[in-house]
Amino acid sequence: MTTDLQACDQEPIRIPGHIQPQGFLLSIDRKTTELLRISANVGQFTDVEPQALLGRTLESTGLLAPDMLQAILAREANPGTPRTHGMAEFKSGNFLVISHVSGRERVVEFEYVDPAFDGSLDLLYPDMRAAIETLQADRTPAALYQSAARIIRALTGYDRALVYAFDEQWNGMVVGEDRNERLPSYFDLRFPASDIPAQARELYRLNRLRLIANADYVPVPILEREGVDLAPLDLSYAVLRSVSPVHLEYMRNMGTPSSFSVSIVVGGQLWGLISTHHAQPRIVPQHVRAACDFLTQIMAMQIEGQIRSSNAAERVERQALQARLLAYMAREENFVQGLVKHPEDFLPLVDAQGAAVMLNGVCYTVGDTPDEEGVIGIVEWLAGEHGEKDVYSTDSLADAMPGGARFTHGGAATAGLLAVQISQIHRSYVLWFRQELVRTVRWGGDPRQAKQPGVGRLHPRLSFESWQETVRDRSAPWTAPQLDTAALLRNAIIGIVMRKAEELADITDELKRSNRELEAFSYSVSHDLRAPFRHIVGYAELLKDELQALGEASSGEALAAQATDGNGNGNGNGNGSNSDAAGASSRSLRYIDTIIESAHTAGKLVDGLLSFSQAGRVSLAREDVDVDRMVELCRHLLQPELRGRKVEFHIGALGHVSADPTMLRQVFQNLLSNAIKYTNGREVAKINVTATRSPAATVFMVQDNGVGFDMAYVGKLFGVFQRLHRMEDFEGTGIGLANVRRIAERHGGSAWAEGVVDEGAKFYFSIPNRETAENVGA
Amino acid sequence: MSVLKNILLVEDNPKDLELTLVALERSRLANEVVTARDGIEALDWLLRRGAHKNRPPVDPAVVLLDLKLPKMDGLEVLATIKSDPAVKHVPVVMLTASREESDLVRSYDLGVNAFVVKPVDFQEFFDAIRGLGMFWAILNEPSPGQLRTGPMKVTEA
Repeated sequence: MTTDLQACDQEPIRIPGHIQPQGFLLSIDRKTTELLRISANVGQFTDVEPQALLGRTLESTGLLAPDMLQAILAREANPGTPRTHGMAEFKSGNFLVISHVSGRERVVEFEYVDPAFDGSLDLLYPDMRAAIETLQADRTPAALYQSAARIIRALTGYDRALVYAFDEQWNGMVVGEDRNERLPSYFDLRFPASDIPAQARELYRLNRLRLIANADYVPVPILEREGVDLAPLDLSYAVLRSVSPVHLEYMRNMGTPSSFSVSIVVGGQLWGLISTHHAQPRIVPQHVRAACDFLTQIMAMQIEGQIRSSNAAERVERQALQARLLAYMAREENFVQGLVKHPEDFLPLVDAQGAAVMLNGVCYTVGDTPDEEGVIGIVEWLAGEHGEKDVYSTDSLADAMPGGARFTHGGAATAGLLAVQISQIHRSYVLWFRQELVRTVRWGGDPRQAKQPGVGRLHPRLSFESWQETVRDRSAPWTAPQLDTAALLRNAIIGIVMRKAEELADITDELKRSNRELEAFSYSVSHDLRAPFRHIVGYAELLKDELQALGEASSGEALAAQATDGNGNGNGNGNGSNSDAAGASSRSLRYIDTIIESAHTAGKLVDGLLSFSQAGRVSLAREDVDVDRMVELCRHLLQPELRGRKVEFHIGALGHVSADPTMLRQVFQNLLSNAIKYTNGREVAKINVTATRSPAATVFMVQDNGVGFDMAYVGKLFGVFQRLHRMEDFEGTGIGLANVRRIAERHGGSAWAEGVVDEGAKFYFSIPNRETAENVGA
Repeated sequence: MSVLKNILLVEDNPKDLELTLVALERSRLANEVVTARDGIEALDWLLRRGAHKNRPPVDPAVVLLDLKLPKMDGLEVLATIKSDPAVKHVPVVMLTASREESDLVRSYDLGVNAFVVKPVDFQEFFDAIRGLGMFWAILNEPSPGQLRTGPMKVTEA
């Protein structure tokens, strides 16, 4: 076997082709029981030369007693799991026989049993029971690790036992230690992930026990039967598997020729190792190894339990925060407000110092976060690189994101990011930030020198001097419960967003429906209600015409009669009847005029109502309006109302606004018409129109010196059908000002008034300069 | 006199019909007025279909068309007239009680020649009808229209 390797993690560690020398190994064809392979050292223990054995059936070799032979060849439920079959005796001593299946072969290992380490599992029972009680009594992880190290070291008799835990990056950290003075303390030291490459970790997970009795051992090659095309033998489950020469060099550099490790597997994952070392070569007998494995698995369960209960406690704690946030979100129009208004719950939810919500392109931040540009950059990067992830987290933006090191807030760098995606399409995210946590980490040797390239191969580092590193650009890591909490919040938000969207859709449908109904109603009002008034007026006019024609005819008759009478008598009589008829006729005509006028008024009311409802529902057609021209036009249209009046207009420079011209004209028409109406009786009516511009809006004012109004009633002024004057004094429908206000509001502005009784009134309305949202349903 | 074209008045409401006829009467136009009470009747007369198959092939000077009609409403009648090459040149004046913008826009889209909202005031109504009648009836006469001396001739379509 060559040591000329490219890198440790490419080494064929499962198929090394060699074994360690503390025993020998053979493999048989599972069908024929013919020997396919045998380790070259078989003769050293048994007096039988390997070449003489290859090709013979296992039964015919005479290596095994018949009952053991039968046990080995028997069918079994779990062929991959190694089984021990008891002791075999050869001239060199006793050997433990262990077998397992590897591919089409059965591997039989014979491990030398050193008489000095004689013993059995049942003898260890009292120690194990005590150990279990100790492990179960430990309430804190640290105490558990210490106990485990002490127990394992006591069982193995090694100089040092370490409890070695992996972090997220697979760096190892020594969290528990028990040792004597012969080997140095590694407690609290870290070892870089490259010390145990991924495939080695996988092997640790599959085969929990690994013994290297002497790092200076000479690997024994495995010989193959000639003429048989065999795949390389997978020794993943073999006790005697030869380990990587790089690892042996590593052990020698560390000054520990003997090592034994038991894997700590929690929830199917490699959590860590209990790694024992000895300053001299030393074996760990099979029964002790089994005891160590057993106790370590108990410890693993203990760790699992502790993780679970601490996670559960943390989750319960966070549930309270989550429940409050949910209530806030549900109460708000927009869920974002429910979060950002309550940083006292929003941030502790995942122990963050800052948070941001990016929703539909709008960024909301709270606490210590990168600036808006930075948040937008992070969201862009997340959507691009991790768009498929619902929850993303890193404790080092500097490592994860190109340019991620530059985010700072008030001098403290943002290092940790936890992001949940609300919408992939809209790039909506909730982000939490953690500040950099500058800390000092002690490494067992400089991790940058973990592997030093030599000539044609890699050497593990020579120095295990502890080496201090200041870790920057890294936050405290996000824990599993924190990530779960974030995922739960995400679900809740999505639920709320979807429900809100549904509600909104319902409301929109409802609005559309009622708008359609209103439109149909207005339509029918406009058609059907106007018609009868038109008919009343029409027929009354016809009646009036008839009456007038009749009156003329009768007065003609009377004249004729008078002419006839002129010669004689009956003058007084004729006159009397004529004046009666004329009186009745003029009364009738007045009645008819009243009918016509009333129908007129009713018709105007209908028209007014209709235009009011139109102002509310017809969509705004904004354009640039020349207000000076528009007011001029209104004045022109109002000419008939100025007949016989003396009115002075003072029109200021009104400029241009963005508005619906039809609606704006109605406003000016109404206000000017009112001003003319309510100045009736003034010797000289004075009407001023001015415009005041601010960056936000243009405010127009129409002022008159008319009868004014009592400010006590100003609230009623703009209501539909509200009048402050008697009908006889000033006619009107009571809709004009309601329309003015409605139109101003449709433009995003407002309307108001000031007045003094008998002195005049000022009416104002504003039109915002920038387009603002129309009212809902418009 | 026989060269004078008819005025086709399409109106379903009897009161409006009477008032419109009075207004036309007072305008003293010499044209004969043909009245139709719904959209189908109007089109039958105009397109010489059904009962009016044997009507002399003379188009009216103007169609005064109410918007809201039974069976087929005014907009549909308008659309039919304006899409039929045989009669699309006949001027159509929409008479309506509505101030609805959508009706107005729709009517102009369909090619209406004028649009009159019937005013509540009878005098205004009279003025409007007279104006319309004068304008369209006289404008569309081969020779300048004449004023009637006798009673107006009204026939039902």
